[in-house]
Amino acid sequence: MIETRDVVKRYRTGGETLTALKGIDFAVEPGEFVSIMGPSGSGKTTLLNLLGLLDDPSEGEVLLDGEDVTGISDTERTRSRKRTIGFVFQNFYLIPTLTARENVEIPALFDHDPTVEERAVDLLERMGLGDRLDHKPDELSGGQKQRVAIARSLINEPRLLLADEPTGNLDRATGKQILEEFVDITDRDVAVIAVTHDELVNEYVDRTVELVDGYMGEDVPTDGEHASDSALSASEPGSDGGGPP
Amino acid sequence: MIDWLLKRFPALLMARRNIGRTKVRSVLAALGIVIGVIAIASLGMFGLTLRYQITENFDDIANQVTVEPNRDGRQAPTAISEREVRDIRRIAGTSASVVPLQQQRAPVSLDRGPPQNRFMYAVDSPAGVYEASEGTIPENFRSGALVGQQLAMEYDLEPGSSISINGSTTRVRAILAPGGTVGFLPTANVVVVPTTMFQQRTYSQVIVQAEDSQAANETAMALREQLNDRRDRFTVDDNADLADQIGETFQALNLFLLGIGSISLLVAGVSILNVMLMSTVERRQEIGVLRAVGFQKRDVLKIMLSEAVLLGVVGGIVGVVFSMIAGGLINHFMLDDALLAFRPDNFLYVGLAFAFGVGTSLLSGLYPAWKAANERPVDALRS
Repeated sequence: MIETRDVVKRYRTGGETLTALKGIDFAVEPGEFVSIMGPSGSGKTTLLNLLGLLDDPSEGEVLLDGEDVTGISDTERTRSRKRTIGFVFQNFYLIPTLTARENVEIPALFDHDPTVEERAVDLLERMGLGDRLDHKPDELSGGQKQRVAIARSLINEPRLLLADEPTGNLDRATGKQILEEFVDITDRDVAVIAVTHDELVNEYVDRTVELVDGYMGEDVPTDGEHASDSALSASEPGSDGGGPP
Repeated sequence: MIDWLLKRFPALLMARRNIGRTKVRSVLAALGIVIGVIAIASLGMFGLTLRYQITENFDDIANQVTVEPNRDGRQAPTAISEREVRDIRRIAGTSASVVPLQQQRAPVSLDRGPPQNRFMYAVDSPAGVYEASEGTIPENFRSGALVGQQLAMEYDLEPGSSISINGSTTRVRAILAPGGTVGFLPTANVVVVPTTMFQQRTYSQVIVQAEDSQAANETAMALREQLNDRRDRFTVDDNADLADQIGETFQALNLFLLGIGSISLLVAGVSILNVMLMSTVERRQEIGVLRAVGFQKRDVLKIMLSEAVLLGVVGGIVGVVFSMIAGGLINHFMLDDALLAFRPDNFLYVGLAFAFGVGTSLLSGLYPAWKAANERPVDALRS
């Protein structure tokens, strides 16, 4: 469904070029629940951004349904993102001025689709928030906010859901509920990729991928080169989405 | 209605909620527009009212031509003869009214006391040049006298009072209305009598009242040509130029006033720019999320511009309401009629001010909106 082929991502900061991803081959099938684990600065968020069509790789290809989506225009990229991908963030990122229902409707706001409201209500009911439809985010608990965010990510019926530290700001019990929601979602053939530090996540996923210093799993070199890279990558800004160090 | 509008234009919904988020800031930004709109509209209306007040009295003048003997001309006559008056009547045509005037000094007593020498005008048809504030001016003026308002107040005269001119007693027929005159004829301190009183055959001045300013202009040219066969015997004045000049002066004055008003709108625009920039910085991540979930750049642009325009429209509407009140006050104090604020010309300025207000907001919103729309969602989310 989505696939990366030998993807490299470099950042330029000051005079230095930092390599956040050093040749990643990665693929997810529909209905799969995959977690990407790794320490801070390992390039997890960079990978998630590439998978989410928010950024272009410096080298290699990102294929969505077998089609190369690197280098396409911003408009097309945005359209593909809207059609196929849902996002869930660590900080929920709900719009504080909108009610739960309006927040869920947001991605379809400009579609003038009369069924949106109904779908939003359905999704919120599915998330157990049927009685919180007209509450503003500041009237909701962390777990409720994250469920609103999940409902929002699902409004356009995506086939891929990307979650950046989805349990990062939640207590353990609430985190479990959220992960169960993700499992439910994969039962509907939606692939879920979660970037996380949280070991708890691994109890629910089909597969865990380790990312260390821009290398994936078994590709991690064990020689001296690795150590110097590690120092570089760790200081490199933007390779991580702000998870706890 | 509003619900329908917000449903139909979702960008407005977002904008409306965002403005509500930082109420004080939004109100202050809109206040700038309110002040700008009031400044433009009321300064514009003030200029118009000033012009109206002055040209109201000049409307008659623009239609009018005066003929007098040329005082500088060596061979010029000292007065206008009956024959020349007939010539003037012929040249002016039937649609114009021609009023020959005589000026005379004579001993007058207004209060039965010793007579004083006063300037008097003798006119056959005073109704053509004067208006009465009390009593009526007779069409066919054969007897009696008309008295200026100031004199009437000074000597406590009213229609029916008797005064003595040249030793013979006559009755006041009417008190002249101030300003209700044609041309530069004084009204306040004059006594107007029938021409029969002086037994004089020549006139000191002829006033021709044409249908409109253009006819006046043509008549003036014809009179100059035909009365003055090469020698400048008569001075022919038409006031079309004067009216034009007044018009131009006021146009310049109005532009100047509008310029001053525009400065306040400029300041308002800067304040909206500031508010919108702050708002885009504060909401950077939020906008990043919107872009991530599938908002195109133009959608973000729409939301941000709607916010700016909404501030402008709200500020503009409030500004228009206050401007109409200001216009009413201006007209009340300058023209004694607040309802004159509803003249169509005034609405032109109010509309212009509103359009400027909304336009300024739109322009001020462009840069912040463009900035917000063009930020890469990755960068926005990372912050």
